[in-house]
Amino acid sequence: MESIGLIRDFLKDRLGVEPENVVPGAQLAELGVDSLMMLELMFEFEDRFGIKLSRDIKTPRTVGEMVSLMDGLIAKSKS
Amino acid sequence: MSQRRVAITGLGLVSPYGGDLADFFTRLCAGQSAVGFLQTDDVPRPLSMPFVSCPAFDPDVALGKPLASMMDRFAQFAMAAAFSAWDDAGLPRKGEGEDRDDWGVAWGTALGGTMAYEKGYRELWQKGRERLSPLTVLLGMNSSANAHISIQLGLGGVSMSHTVACASSAIAIGEAFRRVRSGEATVMLTGGSDVPQAYGVARAWEALRVMAPGDADTSATACRPFSADRHGLVLGEGGAALVLEDWEHAVARGARIHGEIVGYGTTCDHSHLVRPEAEGQIRAIRLTLADAGLNAANIDYVNAHGTATAEGDPVEVAALKSVFGEHAASLPVSATKSMHGHMLGGSAAIEAIVTVLALRDGSIPPTAHLGQLDPACIGVDHVTTARHGQPLRAALSNSFAFGGSNAVLAFRAVDL
Repeated sequence: MESIGLIRDFLKDRLGVEPENVVPGAQLAELGVDSLMMLELMFEFEDRFGIKLSRDIKTPRTVGEMVSLMDGLIAKSKS
Repeated sequence: MSQRRVAITGLGLVSPYGGDLADFFTRLCAGQSAVGFLQTDDVPRPLSMPFVSCPAFDPDVALGKPLASMMDRFAQFAMAAAFSAWDDAGLPRKGEGEDRDDWGVAWGTALGGTMAYEKGYRELWQKGRERLSPLTVLLGMNSSANAHISIQLGLGGVSMSHTVACASSAIAIGEAFRRVRSGEATVMLTGGSDVPQAYGVARAWEALRVMAPGDADTSATACRPFSADRHGLVLGEGGAALVLEDWEHAVARGARIHGEIVGYGTTCDHSHLVRPEAEGQIRAIRLTLADAGLNAANIDYVNAHGTATAEGDPVEVAALKSVFGEHAASLPVSATKSMHGHMLGGSAAIEAIVTVLALRDGSIPPTAHLGQLDPACIGVDHVTTARHGQPLRAALSNSFAFGGSNAVLAFRAVDL
């Protein structure tokens, strides 16, 4: 669950979203994450964990989907 | 073609003094300098120069965090000034059913998002990173200011920026004025902004040897236009915006009209990149007077370009003497850059606002720190302390840029 911290920090820093609202069921769009913010969030993730996301990745719609995606990639990179 | 009258219904800026528009003009009239001393911790050699900063400006507060984080600082200034002018005009931020498809934006910026790219270079070359944030392109593009303004205010007409060095926003305002006058646009949001403290930019200006020296004690009086002991210009950050509106539209909605914009002329010296020539400036002033249907005897104030460079000031006075002839000696002239500094693409917009307020309030702000007049600048009525209670009818604002690009705007008071 390393990625939820990154997502919370990012949304707080960029959009002023309170961490308690960043829960698995929350829609990213409703938190203010548009396609540009998504690009930036992916960039932060790649930077922080040294992982390169593939270009054909399916764009997550909820915080939960984003967390699963990121945690999966982190686990894979460590194995 | 029938021409529309063009009302100025909104004025807004990010004030280097930290207060509102009225506070800004009061301080200018009091001769109070906004010039401070900029000292950075840049490597290899810190910036250390007189400079006008806006320390009270908090983009997160002015714009909200999500919007502010999508913008370079020059666009944050633009957006904040635009919101302020829009609110001043009494216009709702979103159209709410109103058709704004012919409402537009003409912005001026000399540097655009230089800060965003400089941040990128620092990341790559100083911090050894290999990639940049995907937002860098969107923060850095010169047209980001006008684009954000159009989006935020729901304006469906032209959205453009003009880059003409120190005349950028004079030309933006002039082009906006023409669109409203011709009937192409009902409302134009216009103005300019710049943030010249990018390390590479400020260092480059220093190398040109046109910057006034100063330290923590002397910076406030570093910029002394027309003065015998002037030593050059002072850069600053800032942004200013005006709402230009079809006169009948403004009257129909009961808007308060600050003043009327009546003329615009622009020329090029076509001779030298940095050495100004009176002839090109004379043509610009004459074009503007003709465009406005005014003659020299109608002009009661000129806000000069007056940057306090050795070469520029006498040439501007020579141009004024040539155009105004026998009226020149009694023509009130002041250079307010002595107080608000030179914010490059933002300068003409802030000076347009000063000129409109001077007409509206009958008060002429001074050229600050003008002790001993340079003999080469004699020939006009230099205003060295504010004059209040003046029945001003019409005024000009000059902008004479590097590249030899000249732009002059003419304004009229509403009631006289």
